[in-house]
Amino acid sequence: MAIKISGLKRGYGKVRVLDSLDMSVNEGSIYGLLGPSGCGKTTLLNVILGFLIPEKGELNVLDNNAQVPGSDVGYAPQELALYLDLNISETLMFHGRLHEMPKSKIEEKGEWLKSFLDLPDFSRIVGKLSGGEKRRVSLAVALLHEPRLLLLDEPTVGVDPELRARIWQHLRAITDDGTTIVLTTHYIDEAGKADRVGLMRDGKLLAEEGPLELMDKYDTNSLEDVFLTLCKREVVA
Amino acid sequence: MNWNRIGAIASRKFASIRRDHRMFAFIVMMPAIQIILFGFAIGGSPTDLDVITVGEHPIYSELEESELLILHNVSDLQAAKQQVENGEAWAVIESNGTSLTIHFDASNQQIMQTIINEIKTATQEISPTLALQIAEPIHGEENSEFIDFLAPGIMVLVCFMFSLILTTMAFVGERNDGTLDRLFAAGVQPSEVLMGHLLAFSVIIVGQVSVVISIAVMFFEVPMHGSIILLFSLGLILGWTAMCLGLFLSTKAKSEFQAMQLVMPIVFPVLLLSGILWPVEALPFGLKEISMLLPTTWAAESFRSIMMRGWGLSNPLIWKSFIIVFAFGAVALLAASKSLKVRS
Repeated sequence: MAIKISGLKRGYGKVRVLDSLDMSVNEGSIYGLLGPSGCGKTTLLNVILGFLIPEKGELNVLDNNAQVPGSDVGYAPQELALYLDLNISETLMFHGRLHEMPKSKIEEKGEWLKSFLDLPDFSRIVGKLSGGEKRRVSLAVALLHEPRLLLLDEPTVGVDPELRARIWQHLRAITDDGTTIVLTTHYIDEAGKADRVGLMRDGKLLAEEGPLELMDKYDTNSLEDVFLTLCKREVVA
Repeated sequence: MNWNRIGAIASRKFASIRRDHRMFAFIVMMPAIQIILFGFAIGGSPTDLDVITVGEHPIYSELEESELLILHNVSDLQAAKQQVENGEAWAVIESNGTSLTIHFDASNQQIMQTIINEIKTATQEISPTLALQIAEPIHGEENSEFIDFLAPGIMVLVCFMFSLILTTMAFVGERNDGTLDRLFAAGVQPSEVLMGHLLAFSVIIVGQVSVVISIAVMFFEVPMHGSIILLFSLGLILGWTAMCLGLFLSTKAKSEFQAMQLVMPIVFPVLLLSGILWPVEALPFGLKEISMLLPTTWAAESFRSIMMRGWGLSNPLIWKSFIIVFAFGAVALLAASKSLKVRS
Protein backbone atom coordinates (compact mmCIF):
# COMPACT_ATOMS: atom_id res chain seq x y z
CA MET A 1 0.00 0.00 0.00
CA ALA A 2 1.53 3.34 -1.04
CA ILE A 3 -0.87 5.57 0.88
CA LYS A 4 -3.10 4.55 3.75
CA ILE A 5 -5.31 7.12 5.44
CA SER A 6 -7.95 6.44 8.06
CA GLY A 7 -10.23 8.70 10.04
CA LEU A 8 -8.52 11.84 8.77
CA LYS A 9 -9.80 15.17 10.01
CA ARG A 10 -8.35 18.50 9.05
CA GLY A 11 -9.61 22.04 8.57
CA TYR A 12 -8.40 25.64 8.51
CA GLY A 13 -9.29 27.42 11.71
CA LYS A 14 -12.95 26.71 12.34
CA VAL A 15 -13.68 25.59 8.81
CA ARG A 16 -13.67 21.82 8.60
CA VAL A 17 -12.46 20.72 5.18
CA LEU A 18 -11.69 17.02 5.56
CA ASP A 19 -13.74 14.88 7.92
CA SER A 20 -13.37 11.20 8.86
CA LEU A 21 -11.77 10.45 5.53
CA ASP A 22 -10.44 7.00 4.65
CA MET A 23 -8.33 6.37 1.60
CA SER A 24 -6.02 3.68 0.35
CA VAL A 25 -3.81 3.83 -2.71
CA ASN A 26 -2.06 0.75 -4.08
CA GLU A 27 1.57 0.90 -5.05
CA GLY A 28 2.13 1.21 -8.79
CA SER A 29 -1.40 2.36 -9.53
CA ILE A 30 -3.20 5.47 -10.67
CA TYR A 31 -5.68 6.89 -8.21
CA GLY A 32 -8.13 9.48 -9.47
CA LEU A 33 -9.67 11.85 -6.98
CA LEU A 34 -12.90 13.06 -8.51
CA GLY A 35 -15.09 15.76 -7.11
CA PRO A 36 -16.39 19.29 -7.59
CA SER A 37 -14.17 22.31 -6.84
CA GLY A 38 -14.00 23.12 -3.18
CA CYS A 39 -14.61 19.54 -2.05
CA GLY A 40 -11.19 19.29 -0.41
CA LYS A 41 -9.08 17.59 -3.09
CA THR A 42 -6.19 20.03 -2.87
CA THR A 43 -6.32 20.00 0.94
CA LEU A 44 -6.06 16.22 0.86
CA LEU A 45 -2.99 16.42 -1.40
CA ASN A 46 -1.46 18.91 1.03
CA VAL A 47 -1.98 16.45 3.87
CA ILE A 48 -0.33 13.66 1.88
CA LEU A 49 2.58 16.00 1.08
CA GLY A 50 3.05 16.64 4.78
CA PHE A 51 2.22 20.36 4.50
CA LEU A 52 -0.89 20.05 6.65
CA ILE A 53 -0.79 18.16 9.92
CA PRO A 54 -3.93 16.05 10.51
CA GLU A 55 -5.99 17.02 13.54
CA LYS A 56 -7.10 13.43 13.87
CA GLY A 57 -6.50 10.17 12.08
CA GLU A 58 -3.77 7.92 10.73
CA LEU A 59 -1.63 8.73 7.74
CA ASN A 60 0.97 6.50 6.09
CA VAL A 61 2.73 7.62 2.94
CA LEU A 62 5.11 5.13 1.25
CA ASP A 63 7.32 3.72 4.01
CA ASN A 64 8.89 5.14 7.10
CA ASN A 65 12.12 6.13 5.39
CA ALA A 66 10.41 7.87 2.52
CA GLN A 67 11.39 11.44 1.81
CA VAL A 68 8.01 13.14 1.62
CA PRO A 69 8.28 16.06 1.27
CA GLY A 70 11.55 15.39 -0.55
CA SER A 71 12.88 13.46 -3.48
CA ASP A 72 10.42 10.58 -3.20
CA VAL A 73 7.52 12.76 -4.23
CA GLY A 74 6.85 14.75 -7.38
CA TYR A 75 4.23 17.47 -7.07
CA ALA A 76 2.54 19.51 -9.75
CA PRO A 77 0.29 22.11 -8.09
CA GLN A 78 -2.90 23.27 -9.71
CA GLU A 79 -1.34 26.68 -10.29
CA LEU A 80 1.43 26.16 -12.81
CA ALA A 81 4.03 26.96 -10.19
CA LEU A 82 6.73 27.91 -12.68
CA TYR A 83 9.21 30.78 -12.69
CA LEU A 84 7.99 32.77 -15.66
CA ASP A 85 11.31 34.53 -16.26
CA LEU A 86 13.41 31.37 -16.67
CA ASN A 87 13.69 29.42 -19.88
CA ILE A 88 12.73 25.73 -19.97
CA SER A 89 16.28 24.49 -19.72
CA GLU A 90 16.97 26.68 -16.65
CA THR A 91 13.71 25.53 -15.10
CA LEU A 92 14.63 21.86 -15.36
CA MET A 93 18.20 22.55 -14.26
CA PHE A 94 16.94 24.39 -11.17
CA HIS A 95 14.57 21.66 -10.07
CA GLY A 96 17.12 18.96 -10.84
CA ARG A 97 19.66 20.72 -8.63
CA LEU A 98 17.13 20.82 -5.79
CA HIS A 99 17.07 17.03 -5.94
CA GLU A 100 20.85 16.90 -6.25
CA MET A 101 20.76 15.28 -9.67
CA PRO A 102 24.01 15.47 -11.62
CA LYS A 103 23.94 17.86 -14.57
CA SER A 104 24.33 15.08 -17.15
CA LYS A 105 21.38 13.20 -15.67
CA ILE A 106 19.20 16.33 -15.78
CA GLU A 107 20.11 16.90 -19.43
CA GLU A 108 19.48 13.29 -20.36
CA LYS A 109 16.12 13.18 -18.60
CA GLY A 110 15.29 16.63 -20.05
CA GLU A 111 15.80 15.38 -23.60
CA TRP A 112 13.56 12.44 -22.90
CA LEU A 113 10.82 14.61 -21.40
CA LYS A 114 11.12 16.95 -24.35
CA SER A 115 10.32 14.28 -26.89
CA PHE A 116 7.74 12.60 -24.73
CA LEU A 117 5.77 15.70 -23.68
CA ASP A 118 6.47 17.44 -26.97
CA LEU A 119 8.00 20.40 -25.14
CA PRO A 120 8.91 23.58 -27.03
CA ASP A 121 12.50 24.63 -27.66
CA PHE A 122 14.39 24.65 -24.35
CA SER A 123 15.61 28.22 -24.83
CA ARG A 124 12.05 29.56 -24.77
CA ILE A 125 11.11 31.68 -21.74
CA VAL A 126 8.39 29.95 -19.73
CA GLY A 127 6.33 33.13 -19.33
CA LYS A 128 5.97 33.40 -23.11
CA LEU A 129 4.62 29.87 -23.62
CA SER A 130 0.96 29.05 -24.20
CA GLY A 131 -1.19 27.67 -21.39
CA GLY A 132 -0.94 24.10 -22.61
CA GLU A 133 2.83 24.35 -23.05
CA LYS A 134 3.22 25.69 -19.52
CA ARG A 135 1.11 22.83 -18.21
CA ARG A 136 3.45 20.35 -19.90
CA VAL A 137 6.55 22.05 -18.50
CA SER A 138 4.95 21.88 -15.06
CA LEU A 139 4.39 18.17 -15.52
CA ALA A 140 7.96 17.72 -16.74
CA VAL A 141 9.25 19.32 -13.53
CA ALA A 142 7.26 16.86 -11.41
CA LEU A 143 8.54 13.89 -13.43
CA LEU A 144 12.16 15.01 -13.71
CA HIS A 145 13.61 13.30 -10.64
CA GLU A 146 11.67 10.04 -11.14
CA PRO A 147 9.84 10.11 -7.81
CA ARG A 148 8.14 7.05 -6.33
CA LEU A 149 4.96 9.01 -5.74
CA LEU A 150 3.44 11.57 -8.09
CA LEU A 151 0.82 14.02 -6.84
CA LEU A 152 -0.78 15.87 -9.71
CA ASP A 153 -3.39 18.53 -9.00
CA GLU A 154 -5.59 18.89 -12.11
CA PRO A 155 -2.76 17.92 -14.49
CA THR A 156 -4.77 17.98 -17.70
CA VAL A 157 -6.58 21.33 -17.41
CA GLY A 158 -6.13 23.25 -20.63
CA VAL A 159 -4.43 20.40 -22.46
CA ASP A 160 -5.80 19.28 -25.83
CA PRO A 161 -7.34 15.76 -26.11
CA GLU A 162 -4.47 14.34 -28.13
CA LEU A 163 -1.87 15.40 -25.59
CA ARG A 164 -4.12 14.33 -22.73
CA ALA A 165 -4.16 10.86 -24.21
CA ARG A 166 -0.36 10.88 -24.45
CA ILE A 167 0.00 12.05 -20.87
CA TRP A 168 -2.20 9.19 -19.73
CA GLN A 169 -0.19 6.77 -21.83
CA HIS A 170 2.94 7.94 -20.08
CA LEU A 171 1.41 7.85 -16.62
CA ARG A 172 0.39 4.29 -17.34
CA ALA A 173 3.93 3.45 -18.45
CA ILE A 174 5.56 4.77 -15.28
CA THR A 175 3.11 2.99 -13.00
CA ASP A 176 4.29 -0.23 -14.66
CA ASP A 177 7.72 0.65 -13.28
CA GLY A 178 6.22 0.91 -9.79
CA THR A 179 5.44 4.64 -9.57
CA THR A 180 2.27 5.50 -7.68
CA ILE A 181 0.17 8.37 -8.97
CA VAL A 182 -2.57 10.33 -7.27
CA LEU A 183 -4.27 12.90 -9.45
CA THR A 184 -7.23 15.15 -8.96
CA THR A 185 -9.66 15.89 -11.72
CA HIS A 186 -13.15 17.11 -12.28
CA TYR A 187 -13.41 15.41 -15.68
CA ILE A 188 -15.51 12.34 -15.08
CA ASP A 189 -14.35 10.51 -18.19
CA GLU A 190 -10.76 11.05 -17.17
CA ALA A 191 -11.30 9.51 -13.75
CA GLY A 192 -12.64 6.45 -15.56
CA LYS A 193 -9.11 5.72 -16.79
CA ALA A 194 -7.70 5.44 -13.27
CA ASP A 195 -7.20 2.10 -11.51
CA ARG A 196 -9.15 3.33 -8.59
CA VAL A 197 -11.47 6.28 -8.23
CA GLY A 198 -12.19 8.20 -5.07
CA LEU A 199 -15.48 10.09 -5.29
CA MET A 200 -15.15 13.07 -3.05
CA ARG A 201 -17.74 15.47 -1.76
CA ASP A 202 -17.65 17.91 1.15
CA GLY A 203 -14.43 16.54 2.58
CA LYS A 204 -15.46 12.90 2.54
CA LEU A 205 -14.84 9.99 0.21
CA LEU A 206 -18.28 8.72 -0.76
CA ALA A 207 -16.85 5.69 -2.50
CA GLU A 208 -13.49 4.30 -3.44
CA GLU A 209 -13.19 1.52 -5.98
CA GLY A 210 -12.18 0.70 -9.54
CA PRO A 211 -14.34 2.54 -12.10
CA LEU A 212 -15.80 -0.70 -13.48
CA GLU A 213 -16.63 -2.06 -10.03
CA LEU A 214 -18.33 1.19 -9.14
CA MET A 215 -20.53 1.13 -12.25
CA ASP A 216 -21.28 -2.53 -11.63
CA LYS A 217 -22.23 -1.92 -8.05
CA TYR A 218 -24.65 0.88 -8.85
CA ASP A 219 -25.88 -0.84 -11.97
CA THR A 220 -25.15 1.93 -14.40
CA ASN A 221 -22.75 2.49 -17.26
CA SER A 222 -21.46 5.90 -16.33
CA LEU A 223 -19.45 7.20 -13.41
CA GLU A 224 -21.54 10.33 -13.51
CA ASP A 225 -24.64 8.34 -12.51
CA VAL A 226 -22.68 6.69 -9.71
CA PHE A 227 -21.71 10.05 -8.43
CA LEU A 228 -25.26 11.44 -8.63
CA THR A 229 -26.70 8.38 -6.87
CA LEU A 230 -24.16 8.68 -4.10
CA CYS A 231 -24.82 12.39 -3.70
CA LYS A 232 -28.56 11.81 -3.39
CA ARG A 233 -27.99 9.13 -0.81
CA GLU A 234 -25.74 11.48 1.14
CA VAL A 235 -28.40 14.20 1.15
CA VAL A 236 -31.08 11.79 2.35
CA ALA A 237 -28.83 10.44 5.07
CA MET B 1 21.00 23.07 5.62
CA ASN B 2 21.88 21.87 2.18
CA TRP B 3 24.21 24.23 0.33
CA ASN B 4 23.50 22.69 -3.06
CA ARG B 5 19.87 23.63 -2.73
CA ILE B 6 20.72 27.06 -1.34
CA GLY B 7 23.04 27.60 -4.32
CA ALA B 8 20.32 26.53 -6.74
CA ILE B 9 17.81 28.93 -5.18
CA ALA B 10 20.31 31.79 -5.12
CA SER B 11 21.30 31.43 -8.76
CA ARG B 12 17.66 31.06 -9.81
CA LYS B 13 16.76 34.28 -7.97
CA PHE B 14 19.76 36.11 -9.33
CA ALA B 15 18.88 35.09 -12.89
CA SER B 16 15.39 36.52 -12.36
CA ILE B 17 16.71 39.81 -11.06
CA ARG B 18 19.21 40.12 -13.90
CA ARG B 19 16.60 39.36 -16.51
CA ASP B 20 14.10 41.92 -15.22
CA HIS B 21 15.69 45.01 -16.74
CA ARG B 22 13.40 47.52 -15.11
CA MET B 23 13.98 45.98 -11.71
CA PHE B 24 17.71 45.92 -12.35
CA ALA B 25 17.71 49.59 -13.28
CA PHE B 26 15.71 50.35 -10.16
CA ILE B 27 18.17 48.48 -7.99
CA VAL B 28 21.24 50.16 -9.43
CA MET B 29 19.96 53.64 -10.22
CA MET B 30 17.61 54.47 -7.36
CA PRO B 31 20.11 54.52 -4.50
CA ALA B 32 22.44 56.63 -6.64
CA ILE B 33 19.71 59.09 -7.59
CA GLN B 34 18.48 59.21 -4.01
CA ILE B 35 21.84 60.05 -2.52
CA ILE B 36 22.58 62.63 -5.23
CA LEU B 37 19.24 64.37 -4.65
CA PHE B 38 19.78 64.42 -0.91
CA GLY B 39 23.25 65.80 -1.39
CA PHE B 40 22.03 68.64 -3.57
CA ALA B 41 18.82 69.45 -1.74
CA ILE B 42 19.68 69.19 1.92
CA GLY B 43 22.52 70.40 4.05
CA GLY B 44 24.29 72.70 1.63
CA SER B 45 24.80 76.36 2.58
CA PRO B 46 22.17 78.75 1.23
CA THR B 47 23.64 81.31 -1.15
CA ASP B 48 22.70 84.67 -2.73
CA LEU B 49 21.27 86.01 0.53
CA ASP B 50 20.43 89.70 0.23
CA VAL B 51 21.60 91.71 3.24
CA ILE B 52 21.32 95.47 3.59
CA THR B 53 24.00 97.51 5.31
CA VAL B 54 23.33 100.92 6.80
CA GLY B 55 26.11 103.35 7.66
CA GLU B 56 29.83 102.63 7.56
CA HIS B 57 31.82 99.89 9.31
CA PRO B 58 35.12 98.13 8.57
CA ILE B 59 33.32 94.79 8.75
CA TYR B 60 31.35 95.58 5.60
CA SER B 61 34.34 95.23 3.31
CA GLU B 62 35.09 91.90 4.99
CA LEU B 63 31.51 90.75 4.43
CA GLU B 64 31.82 91.67 0.76
CA GLU B 65 34.20 88.71 0.50
CA SER B 66 31.45 86.32 1.58
CA GLU B 67 30.32 83.89 -1.07
CA LEU B 68 26.93 83.54 0.54
CA LEU B 69 25.83 87.13 1.03
CA ILE B 70 24.98 89.91 -1.39
CA LEU B 71 25.35 93.29 0.29
CA HIS B 72 23.34 96.37 -0.59
CA ASN B 73 24.21 99.69 1.05
CA VAL B 74 21.27 101.91 1.89
CA SER B 75 21.53 105.20 3.80
CA ASP B 76 18.10 105.29 5.38
CA LEU B 77 17.42 102.73 8.14
CA GLN B 78 13.63 102.92 7.77
CA ALA B 79 13.80 102.25 4.02
CA ALA B 80 16.15 99.33 4.68
CA LYS B 81 13.79 97.79 7.24
CA GLN B 82 10.92 98.24 4.83
CA GLN B 83 12.81 96.13 2.29
CA VAL B 84 13.12 93.32 4.83
CA GLU B 85 9.46 93.79 5.62
CA ASN B 86 8.70 93.34 1.91
CA GLY B 87 10.78 90.20 1.72
CA GLU B 88 13.42 91.78 -0.53
CA ALA B 89 16.23 91.10 1.93
CA TRP B 90 16.92 88.84 4.93
CA ALA B 91 18.57 91.30 7.30
CA VAL B 92 19.62 94.88 7.92
CA ILE B 93 22.98 95.53 9.53
CA GLU B 94 22.96 98.91 11.22
CA SER B 95 26.19 100.55 12.22
CA ASN B 96 26.59 103.56 14.46
CA GLY B 97 30.34 103.66 13.77
CA THR B 98 31.48 101.30 16.52
CA SER B 99 28.82 98.75 17.45
CA LEU B 100 26.50 96.81 15.12
CA THR B 101 22.78 96.08 15.40
CA ILE B 102 21.18 93.45 13.19
CA HIS B 103 17.49 93.41 12.26
CA PHE B 104 16.51 89.96 10.98
CA ASP B 105 13.76 88.35 9.07
CA ALA B 106 13.88 85.34 11.40
CA SER B 107 11.21 83.37 9.63
CA ASN B 108 13.85 81.00 8.27
CA GLN B 109 16.14 79.85 11.02
CA GLN B 110 18.67 78.18 8.75
CA ILE B 111 19.20 81.36 6.76
CA MET B 112 19.44 83.50 9.90
CA GLN B 113 22.10 81.15 11.29
CA THR B 114 24.03 81.32 8.05
CA ILE B 115 24.08 85.14 8.15
CA ILE B 116 25.10 85.19 11.83
CA ASN B 117 27.92 82.76 11.07
CA GLU B 118 29.16 84.95 8.21
CA ILE B 119 29.14 88.02 10.43
CA LYS B 120 30.98 86.14 13.22
CA THR B 121 33.64 85.02 10.79
CA ALA B 122 34.05 88.55 9.52
CA THR B 123 34.32 89.87 13.08
CA GLN B 124 37.08 87.37 13.83
CA GLU B 125 38.94 88.56 10.72
CA ILE B 126 38.98 92.22 11.64
CA SER B 127 39.56 91.89 15.39
CA PRO B 128 41.56 88.72 16.07
CA THR B 129 42.27 90.00 19.57
CA LEU B 130 38.72 89.12 20.58
CA ALA B 131 38.59 86.99 23.70
CA LEU B 132 36.71 84.15 22.04
CA GLN B 133 38.83 82.06 19.71
CA ILE B 134 37.64 78.91 18.00
CA ALA B 135 40.59 76.59 17.63
CA GLU B 136 40.93 73.94 14.98
CA PRO B 137 38.27 71.31 15.81
CA ILE B 138 39.30 68.04 17.43
CA HIS B 139 36.95 66.10 15.14
CA GLY B 140 35.55 67.19 11.83
CA GLU B 141 36.27 70.17 9.63
CA GLU B 142 36.87 73.80 10.50
CA ASN B 143 34.05 74.97 8.26
CA SER B 144 31.84 72.00 8.99
CA GLU B 145 28.58 72.10 7.12
CA PHE B 146 25.23 70.55 7.86
CA ILE B 147 25.76 68.07 5.02
CA ASP B 148 28.72 66.61 6.90
CA PHE B 149 26.29 65.67 9.66
CA LEU B 150 23.57 64.61 7.27
CA ALA B 151 25.46 62.59 4.67
CA PRO B 152 26.45 59.63 6.88
CA GLY B 153 22.85 59.36 8.08
CA ILE B 154 21.45 59.49 4.58
CA MET B 155 23.93 56.83 3.48
CA VAL B 156 22.61 54.62 6.27
CA LEU B 157 19.02 55.36 5.29
CA VAL B 158 19.60 54.54 1.63
CA CYS B 159 21.48 51.29 2.41
CA PHE B 160 18.68 50.27 4.77
CA MET B 161 15.67 51.34 2.76
CA PHE B 162 16.59 49.81 -0.58
CA SER B 163 17.59 46.48 0.92
CA LEU B 164 14.29 46.44 2.75
CA ILE B 165 12.19 47.25 -0.30
CA LEU B 166 14.09 44.72 -2.39
CA THR B 167 13.35 41.79 -0.14
CA THR B 168 9.88 42.66 1.14
CA MET B 169 8.51 41.69 -2.26
CA ALA B 170 10.56 38.50 -2.39
CA PHE B 171 8.09 35.77 -1.52
CA VAL B 172 4.77 37.44 -2.07
CA GLY B 173 4.53 36.31 -5.66
CA GLU B 174 6.19 32.98 -5.01
CA ARG B 175 3.64 32.03 -2.40
CA ASN B 176 0.67 32.90 -4.54
CA ASP B 177 1.85 31.20 -7.75
CA GLY B 178 2.62 27.86 -6.06
CA THR B 179 6.38 27.91 -6.74
CA LEU B 180 7.18 28.03 -3.03
CA ASP B 181 4.94 24.99 -2.43
CA ARG B 182 6.83 23.18 -5.10
CA LEU B 183 10.12 23.92 -3.36
CA PHE B 184 8.74 22.65 -0.08
CA ALA B 185 7.44 19.51 -1.80
CA ALA B 186 11.00 18.91 -3.00
CA GLY B 187 12.08 18.89 0.63
CA VAL B 188 13.60 22.38 0.70
CA GLN B 189 13.67 23.89 4.20
CA PRO B 190 12.43 27.44 4.87
CA SER B 191 15.89 28.38 6.13
CA GLU B 192 17.35 27.26 2.79
CA VAL B 193 14.87 29.41 0.88
CA LEU B 194 15.81 32.40 3.04
CA MET B 195 19.55 31.80 2.69
CA GLY B 196 19.21 31.42 -1.07
CA HIS B 197 17.45 34.77 -1.33
CA LEU B 198 19.97 36.44 0.97
CA LEU B 199 22.82 35.13 -1.14
CA ALA B 200 21.29 36.37 -4.39
CA PHE B 201 20.51 39.80 -2.96
CA SER B 202 23.95 40.08 -1.38
CA VAL B 203 25.49 40.55 -4.80
CA ILE B 204 23.20 43.55 -5.26
CA ILE B 205 23.93 44.96 -1.82
CA VAL B 206 27.67 44.97 -2.45
CA GLY B 207 26.98 47.14 -5.49
CA GLN B 208 24.53 49.41 -3.69
CA VAL B 209 26.79 50.09 -0.71
CA SER B 210 29.76 50.78 -3.00
CA VAL B 211 27.74 53.24 -5.08
CA VAL B 212 26.42 55.06 -2.03
CA ILE B 213 29.85 55.42 -0.39
CA SER B 214 31.57 56.43 -3.64
CA ILE B 215 29.06 59.15 -4.45
CA ALA B 216 29.17 60.60 -0.93
CA VAL B 217 32.95 60.63 -0.67
CA MET B 218 34.00 61.41 -4.23
CA PHE B 219 31.13 63.49 -5.55
CA PHE B 220 30.02 65.40 -2.47
CA GLU B 221 33.45 65.34 -0.87
CA VAL B 222 32.10 64.40 2.53
CA PRO B 223 35.18 64.09 4.75
CA MET B 224 36.49 60.56 5.19
CA HIS B 225 38.94 60.32 8.07
CA GLY B 226 38.47 56.65 8.95
CA SER B 227 38.79 53.31 7.24
CA ILE B 228 36.67 53.00 4.12
CA ILE B 229 36.75 49.20 4.48
CA LEU B 230 35.25 49.47 7.95
CA LEU B 231 32.55 51.79 6.63
CA PHE B 232 31.84 49.43 3.75
CA SER B 233 31.60 46.42 6.08
CA LEU B 234 29.13 48.16 8.38
CA GLY B 235 27.09 49.23 5.33
CA LEU B 236 26.99 45.61 4.15
CA ILE B 237 25.93 44.25 7.52
CA LEU B 238 23.26 46.92 7.76
CA GLY B 239 22.04 45.96 4.28
CA TRP B 240 21.85 42.31 5.31
CA THR B 241 19.94 43.21 8.43
CA ALA B 242 17.45 45.20 6.38
CA MET B 243 17.11 42.25 3.99
CA CYS B 244 16.40 39.87 6.86
CA LEU B 245 13.74 42.25 8.12
CA GLY B 246 12.35 42.52 4.60
CA LEU B 247 12.24 38.74 4.24
CA PHE B 248 10.35 38.53 7.51
CA LEU B 249 7.80 41.11 6.32
CA SER B 250 7.57 39.22 3.06
CA THR B 251 6.46 36.07 4.86
CA LYS B 252 3.63 38.09 6.42
CA ALA B 253 2.38 40.00 3.38
CA LYS B 254 -0.42 38.47 1.36
CA SER B 255 -0.11 40.71 -1.68
CA GLU B 256 2.45 43.03 -3.18
CA PHE B 257 0.35 46.01 -2.20
CA GLN B 258 0.35 44.80 1.39
CA ALA B 259 4.11 44.36 1.25
CA MET B 260 4.52 47.99 0.19
CA GLN B 261 2.20 49.06 3.01
CA LEU B 262 4.37 47.22 5.51
CA VAL B 263 7.51 49.03 4.38
CA MET B 264 6.14 52.52 5.03
CA PRO B 265 5.64 52.28 8.80
CA ILE B 266 9.24 51.12 9.08
CA VAL B 267 10.98 53.61 6.83
CA PHE B 268 9.47 56.68 8.49
CA PRO B 269 10.39 55.89 12.11
CA VAL B 270 13.85 54.91 10.88
CA LEU B 271 14.19 58.25 9.10
CA LEU B 272 12.92 60.29 12.05
CA LEU B 273 14.22 58.40 15.08
CA SER B 274 17.68 57.31 14.02
CA GLY B 275 19.41 60.66 14.27
CA ILE B 276 19.56 60.87 10.50
CA LEU B 277 17.94 64.29 9.99
CA TRP B 278 18.46 65.73 13.44
CA PRO B 279 20.56 64.75 16.49
CA VAL B 280 19.12 61.97 18.67
CA GLU B 281 20.03 64.20 21.62
CA ALA B 282 17.02 66.37 20.72
CA LEU B 283 14.50 63.56 21.15
CA PRO B 284 12.22 63.67 24.22
CA PHE B 285 12.38 61.02 26.92
CA GLY B 286 10.85 57.78 25.73
CA LEU B 287 11.51 58.33 22.06
CA LYS B 288 15.22 58.51 22.81
CA GLU B 289 15.04 55.04 24.36
CA ILE B 290 13.21 53.69 21.31
CA SER B 291 15.78 55.31 19.11
CA MET B 292 18.56 53.41 20.91
CA LEU B 293 16.86 50.13 19.99
CA LEU B 294 17.01 50.81 16.27
CA PRO B 295 19.99 49.36 14.41
CA THR B 296 19.93 52.39 12.13
CA THR B 297 20.62 54.75 15.05
CA TRP B 298 23.80 52.85 15.83
CA ALA B 299 24.78 52.57 12.21
CA ALA B 300 24.22 56.30 11.59
CA GLU B 301 26.26 57.33 14.62
CA SER B 302 29.03 54.92 13.64
CA PHE B 303 29.05 56.06 10.02
CA ARG B 304 29.46 59.62 11.28
CA SER B 305 32.20 58.63 13.71
CA ILE B 306 34.12 56.59 11.16
CA MET B 307 33.90 59.36 8.58
CA MET B 308 34.36 62.47 10.74
CA ARG B 309 36.20 61.25 13.80
CA GLY B 310 38.17 58.54 12.08
CA TRP B 311 37.27 56.04 14.76
CA GLY B 312 38.17 52.39 14.28
CA LEU B 313 36.86 49.04 15.40
CA SER B 314 38.63 49.37 18.76
CA ASN B 315 36.26 52.15 19.74
CA PRO B 316 33.33 50.82 21.83
CA LEU B 317 30.72 52.69 19.77
CA ILE B 318 31.93 51.09 16.57
CA TRP B 319 32.24 47.49 17.70
CA LYS B 320 28.99 47.69 19.63
CA SER B 321 27.28 48.93 16.47
CA PHE B 322 28.58 45.97 14.50
CA ILE B 323 27.22 43.59 17.15
CA ILE B 324 23.85 45.34 17.52
CA VAL B 325 23.21 45.64 13.79
CA PHE B 326 24.21 42.02 13.25
CA ALA B 327 22.10 40.77 16.18
CA PHE B 328 19.05 42.61 14.88
CA GLY B 329 19.46 40.92 11.52
CA ALA B 330 19.92 37.49 13.10
CA VAL B 331 16.72 37.88 15.11
CA ALA B 332 14.80 39.02 12.03
CA LEU B 333 16.10 36.05 10.04
CA LEU B 334 15.10 33.66 12.79
CA ALA B 335 11.63 35.20 12.91
CA ALA B 336 11.39 34.89 9.13
CA SER B 337 12.27 31.19 9.17
CA LYS B 338 9.72 30.59 11.93
CA SER B 339 7.10 32.47 9.97
CA LEU B 340 7.79 30.71 6.68
CA LYS B 341 6.49 27.33 7.78
CA VAL B 342 6.24 24.24 5.62
CA ARG B 343 3.93 22.41 7.97
CA SER B 344 0.85 23.89 9.57
